Parts: sequence; structure tokens; C-alpha cells
Amino acid sequence: MLNELLFKFATWLDGFQASTNLHEALYAYGWVEGTHVLTLTLFLGMLLVIDLRLLGVAFKELPASTLMERLDKPMMIGFVVMIISGVLLYFAIPVRSTQSIWFRIKVVLLIAAGINALLIRNMTRSTNLTWDRDPIPPKRIRVGAGLSLSLWILVVVCGRNMAYDWWDCHKEMPYFMYWAAGCVNELAAFE
Amino acid sequence: MNVVPFFEWLDASWLASFSKTYAGLFSMVQAVHILSMVMLVGMIILGDLRMLNIVLRGVPSDVILRNTKKWIYIGLVGIILSGIYESSAIAMKLAYNSFFWAKMAGLAMGIVFMLSLRSAVYSRAPEVIASTGPKTDAVEPWVVKLVALTSLFIWFSVAANGRWIGFS
Repeated sequence: MLNELLFKFATWLDGFQASTNLHEALYAYGWVEGTHVLTLTLFLGMLLVIDLRLLGVAFKELPASTLMERLDKPMMIGFVVMIISGVLLYFAIPVRSTQSIWFRIKVVLLIAAGINALLIRNMTRSTNLTWDRDPIPPKRIRVGAGLSLSLWILVVVCGRNMAYDWWDCHKEMPYFMYWAAGCVNELAAFE
Repeated sequence: MNVVPFFEWLDASWLASFSKTYAGLFSMVQAVHILSMVMLVGMIILGDLRMLNIVLRGVPSDVILRNTKKWIYIGLVGIILSGIYESSAIAMKLAYNSFFWAKMAGLAMGIVFMLSLRSAVYSRAPEVIASTGPKTDAVEPWVVKLVALTSLFIWFSVAANGRWIGFS
């Protein structure tokens, strides 16, 4: 049901001339993709700084709140650029992306990373940052920061692997993989 | 100097036959390369934006720069090791690829610049930027900012040229 819906949406996007134009553009697609990858240095770079502080392994001389509050803006600028370029990349290749097992895992991981970030924020608020100047923050903060880094590393791995066609719909795969990747037409052949 | 024989040697090496065989492992190494870039360039960006007084203004700059050092080196080791592995799989393509050579030139420049000018100038940053107290050997603020912009530009060019190898 959801697979069909997503496939319909992707096919609808695929019908736009702009989608085809961006995909087939000599330079534009590369620039959007390049922007997506290069902006990682700003977004994930700032996140790395904050998480390393929350893990208690770097920037220990500085209050955790200083880094969290003041690196939030550059990090979010990077995040917005990543979202915009990411949406454009999806728009350029909607059907294949929708039916990519890597993209699907990536979206789930992104949601998990978002929830984790909210939990970290709530934890820092509820503790009133009594540990702000401690070189090593409380254990649950460190667990949150470790989880944050792990999730984002996996997001990058999934994004990178989207370029490969190992589990594309046109490949010979078990039923479960067709279902997980949302290969609607291939699934119909099983009926 | 003719460098092609080196790439022919790399292309025929056991590392190349290994990296060409295992596609799954290759993609993982590519991810390590990207993540190392995030660590290396992310930490450099933090230092450069700090010296431009764009982020963390008023926080003593020596504390920030000192903390980034270790991660810059870890990122550099990761990026070079994963880069050698990746290059072995496409050695003959790279030997004639101008983006690859632009990237290598940028990388060499970036490392030399970071260890020489960048660190020398940053340690002499005036109080208005560094917030570490008055210095007798301070340089003008615009010198620090020019160094920061140059650093950002060099590392951007390394990353951008690297990404473009894949498109060329």
C-alpha cells in the first residue's frame, strides 16, 4: 500500500520536465550533488565538534553550552543547504531513489537522528546544565552523543551507497528485498 | 618527471587487484574517505570561522585551535589511507585526470599552508580576534582574516576537485 503510494508520487515527480532536465544537465546535477557532499563539512563538522564535547573527549576546557548554543546556527545553515540540495537530488531521480533500499534506510536513520537530537536537548534542559563545565558530561548525555555520531555515520554510508545498483529493482532479488525496496512492478510479478 | 610508470605500477599491484575485486568494501572505504573529510575540513572550518570572528567570538582562540589539532591529524591520516586505497582501483584514470592533479596540488598546498603560515599567523592574532590577552608580536587583524579565507578556499578546492573526479 505505502509502496504503491510512494511509487505513484515518484512517477508523478518524474513526469516534470524540470526533473529530467536536472538529471541530464551537463553541470547542474554535479553542482547540486557536490554542494550536498561538501556541505557535510559544515553541518556534520559542527555536529562533530558538539558531540565530541558531549562525549567528553575534546574541547573539555569550554562549557558544553557555549558550543551547543553558538555552533547551532552554522550547523543549521549547513543542515538547510543539505535539505535543499537533497530534495533537488531526489527530484532529479525520483523513481530510482524511492526504490533504493539505501535511501529508505537513510530516511529512517535521519528520523532516528532527529528524535535523538530532541532527546539530547530535553536531557540538557531537564538537568539545567549543572554539568556544563564538567570535562566529562553525565553518562546519558554521552550515550546520546555517541548515538548521534553513529546514526550520522550510517546516514553518510547509506547516502554514498545509493550510487551503487547492487539492489536496484532490475536485479534478481528475494521477495523480501523487492518489498523493502518498494519494487512495485517486480512484486506484481509474484502475485 | 614522468609519473605514469608509478600509476602503472599501482594499477598492477596486489592492492589494485584487491580493491577492484570487492565492490562492497570499496564503497565502505569511500564512506571513510568522506567521513575523514568531514573531520579534517570540519575542524579547519571551525578554526577559520573562529579567526574570522564569525563563530565563537570572544572564546579564546588558542583553546579552540589546540583542540582541533588532534582531529585534523586523525582526519588527514584517514583521508590519505582511504585515498590511496581508492586510487589503486582507478590508477590509470587518475594518472591522466586533471581534477585529480588539481586536488593533489591543493592537498599539498593545504597541508604546507596549515603547518606554516596558518599556524604562525593564528598564534600572533591580535586581541580583537584572539581574546587571549595583549601580545607584543601581534599582526594586523586583516592579515589573520586573509589567512582564514585562504585556508577555507584551499580546502574547498581540494574537496570540490575530489568530488569532480567522480564526474569526469
